[in-house]
Amino acid sequence: MDIIIIDGLSFALPLFIMAIGGIYCEKSGVTMLAVEGLQGFGAFAGALAAVAVSGIFAGNSPVPFYIAMVFAVAGGAVFALIHALLCLRFKANQVISGVVVNIMAMAMTAYLTKLLNRVIFGAASDKFVLTVSSKITIPVISRIPVLGAVFTNLYPFELVIVAVAFIAWFIMYRTRFGMHLRACGDNPHAVDAAGRNVNKVRLSAIVICGGLSGLGGICFAYSISANFSSSIYVGYGYLAIAALIFGNWRILPTLGACLLFGFARSGGYRLVQVLQMPSSFQDLVMILPYVLTLLLLVFFSRQNGAPRALGEIYDKGAR
Amino acid sequence: MADYIVEMKHITKRFPGIVANDDVTIQVRKGEIYALLGENGAGKSTLMSMLFGMYEPDEGEIFIRGEKVRLESPNHATRLNIGMVHQHFKLISNYTIAENIVMGMEPVKKLLGCIPVVDRKKANSDIAALSEKYGLAVNPEDVIANVNVSTQQRVEILKMLYREAEILIFDEPTAVLTPQEIHFLLEIIKGLRDKGKTIILITHKLEEIKQIADRCAILNRGRLIDVMDVASTSTKTMANLMVGREVSFETDKKPAVPGDVVLEVKNLDVYNRQDFQVVKNVSFQVHKGEILAIAGVAGNGQVEIADAITGLIPIRGGSVILNGTDITHMPIRQRTLQGISYIPEDRHNYGLVMDFTLSENLALKDYFREPFCRNGVLDHQTFEENSSRLIEEYDIRSGQGSSTVVRSMSGGNQQKAIIAREVQLDSELMIFVQPTRGLDIGAIENIHKQMIAQRDKGKAILLISLELDEIMNCADTIGVIYNGEIQKIAAADTLTTEQVGEFMMGVRHADKTEHTYVGEGMNAGAADKEGKET
Repeated sequence: MDIIIIDGLSFALPLFIMAIGGIYCEKSGVTMLAVEGLQGFGAFAGALAAVAVSGIFAGNSPVPFYIAMVFAVAGGAVFALIHALLCLRFKANQVISGVVVNIMAMAMTAYLTKLLNRVIFGAASDKFVLTVSSKITIPVISRIPVLGAVFTNLYPFELVIVAVAFIAWFIMYRTRFGMHLRACGDNPHAVDAAGRNVNKVRLSAIVICGGLSGLGGICFAYSISANFSSSIYVGYGYLAIAALIFGNWRILPTLGACLLFGFARSGGYRLVQVLQMPSSFQDLVMILPYVLTLLLLVFFSRQNGAPRALGEIYDKGAR
Repeated sequence: MADYIVEMKHITKRFPGIVANDDVTIQVRKGEIYALLGENGAGKSTLMSMLFGMYEPDEGEIFIRGEKVRLESPNHATRLNIGMVHQHFKLISNYTIAENIVMGMEPVKKLLGCIPVVDRKKANSDIAALSEKYGLAVNPEDVIANVNVSTQQRVEILKMLYREAEILIFDEPTAVLTPQEIHFLLEIIKGLRDKGKTIILITHKLEEIKQIADRCAILNRGRLIDVMDVASTSTKTMANLMVGREVSFETDKKPAVPGDVVLEVKNLDVYNRQDFQVVKNVSFQVHKGEILAIAGVAGNGQVEIADAITGLIPIRGGSVILNGTDITHMPIRQRTLQGISYIPEDRHNYGLVMDFTLSENLALKDYFREPFCRNGVLDHQTFEENSSRLIEEYDIRSGQGSSTVVRSMSGGNQQKAIIAREVQLDSELMIFVQPTRGLDIGAIENIHKQMIAQRDKGKAILLISLELDEIMNCADTIGVIYNGEIQKIAAADTLTTEQVGEFMMGVRHADKTEHTYVGEGMNAGAADKEGKET
C-alpha cells in the first residue's frame, strides 16, 4: 500500500505541474498541445546542464539536480517562445503549432544529445546519464498509518512542485495578472477595452507554461528514467493535458486527476508484482493511465468548461 | 465655442469601396443628450469609433474641451474621460460584475505588506457605492453569465463611470432590450445627463430620440443632413430626413379576404430544454389571405410556437395540421416541402450561414433539388442566376453581389436576403418571427409591405412580434399569449392597443406585483438567447 502511494505521488506531481502549465496557457485562450515537447526540451536543457557541471560536485551531491531544475525551467520557457511566435505573431493555427513544437522538440533533442555527447564529452551515446534523485522522509508525520506514506521517501522535487503549484494558484486567482490572464481566455476584446495588451498576457502565459512543463520534464528524467533520452517522450505531456481537461481547467480538480493517473500506474505495477505475473505484463500495465483517460473521456467530456475564447486567434478589428 | 465639449470638424473616413463619413461636422455641448440618427450603414458608428480612438479620421479634426487632439487608442480616449458602450458588450462571462468593472484598474492591497493582490472587498464596495450614486442597480458579486442583458448593459455603463467618463457614447443601446428595459435605460440616461454628463446616443429609433434627446444630428449615407432641436421638430420630419424620402408610419392595406384554413394548431403543448412547459394547450387557425399575429411580452412561449410548427423543437401534445396533412412529427425538411416558409427570430443562427456567400445563402432551401443539384453535384450556374435575380428583385445591397460573405452585410440586408429566399419558396404558410428586429424605419416599411403583398396573394401568414405597433399595423387577427396560454383571439379591428397590452400582461389572472415578477423572468430568458447569439 505504502509503495503505491509513494510511487503514485512521484508520478502524479510532475504531471500536475505540467498540467498547471497547460492550464495557464489555455486559460489565456491559447490552445496548448505542446506540453509533451516542452517537457522534453526542458528535461534536455536541464540534463545537459547537470551533466556539464557533474564533474565539479561529488557524486551524491544534490546541487547538480537543482541546477538542472533551473535550466529545465529556462529551457522549456525558451522553447515555448516558438509556440508564442507562431500563435501570436503569425496567428497560426494553435493546434498545428503545438504539434509542430512537439515534433521539433523530439527531433532536435535527439540530434543535439548525440552531437553534444560526441563533441563535448567524447562519447558515442544518445543519452545523458543522470542519477536518481535522493529521497527524504519527513520525521514524525511520516509515521502516521497509511497517510504517513505521503511523507515517506519523497523526492525533494515533490516539495518544490507543491510549493510552485501553490504559487501558481495564487498568481492565477489572487493577482491582477492572473485576473487579466483568465479574462483573455474568456473575452479578449474586454481585456483590450480595459487597456491591457492581450498578446503580452498570452505571451507570458505561454512562457510560464513552457517553464512549468520543463520543470515536470526534468523531474521525470531524475526519477523514472534516471537519464535523458528520447524515452522521455512517452506521452506524459498528453496525459497532463488529459488531466487538465478532466480537471475542468481548474487547478485543484486537476490535481485529483493527476493523482488518479499516478495511483492507477503504481497500483498496476504493484498488482503485477503481487500476482507474480511475467514482467512483460509490466508494459501492459503502463497503458492503465491511458485506458483510464479513455474511460474518463466518455464520462466527463460532456461537462467540460473550456475557456470560451480558447483557440480563437485574437484580431483587434474583428467583432 | 467654449461651451462645446466635443467638436468633430470636417471628418472624412474612407474604407475600401465606401466613404463611411463624408465631411461631417458635429458639435456637442456639455451636459446635453446629443442623438446621432441614421439608417443602418449611415456612418454613425464609424463617426463615434473615431471619437473613441478606434479609427483615425482620414481628414478633419477633433477637439475635446476646445483642445485639438489626435485620438490614438481607446485608452487615450478613456484618459480624456470619453467612454463608450458598444453594441456588442465586452464582458467576461465567468467574472463577477465588480471584477468586470474594475478590470484594468483593480484596487490592490498588499498581502503581508509586500505581495500585491486584487482587493476584491474594496472592488465590491466601490462598485456598490458607484451603483448607488448613479441609481444603476447591480449586485457586484453576481456573475455576468447569470444576469440578463439589461444588467449587463448597466455593467458596461458602470465601467465607463468607474473610469470617470464625462462624455458617454451609447451605440444602439436599446437594440437588445425589451420595451420595459428600454424605458428604464432611457430614465438612466436622463439621470446621467442631470448629473452633468454629456451623452451621445447612436440610434435609428425616432421615439427614443423624441423622448430624451436635446439635439439630433441626422446622417444619411455618410453625409450630415441636418442638426435640429428635437423639441421643435416632428418625428415625421426626422424620419423623412433620415431615410431621404417620404415614409409612412401607417401601413396601407386592403381588408383581408380570408379563405380556407391553411394551418390548424390544436391543443399544442411544448416543453423547453429545461423540461419546463412553455406552450400550454394552444389552439388557433390561420386562413388563406390572413395575417394572424401573436402578441406577447418576450419569453411567453410565442417563439416556441413557431419553432414547434417548423419542427425545431419537438411537440409533446396536440397536433399541427397543414393543408389537411398532419405534420406534428414530420422532419423539418419535409415540413418545408409541405409548404412552410420561415423567417426566424434569430437570423444569425437559424436564418443564415454567416460565413457562406450570399448566393449560397439564397439557395439554402433549394440546394438539394433540381435545378440546383443534378446527380449530387451542385450547379453553380443556377446558384448564380437564382441569387442575381433575387438581389435585383428584393434590392439586397452588398459589397460584392452574389459572392459577398453574408457576415459582412448589414442587418437590414441580411434580413432582406432571408425574406427573399423564403418568399420565393411560394409556400402556403409563411411564418415571420420578429421580422423587423434591429432594423431601421425604411427597412421596416419595406418588410411590412412584402408581408401584406404575400397576404394579398392568398398566403396564410403567422406573424410573431414583440412590437405592439407592428402587430396593430399589420394583423388581421390578433392572438395574445401570456405565460404559454392564448388569452384572447379576435379580429384586429375589434381590439385596441390598450386592450392587447392588458392581455399581454395577463391582467385577467395576475395582480400587479405578480406580472412584474414574470416580466423579470422573461428578461432572463431573453438574456440567454442574446448570450448565444454573440
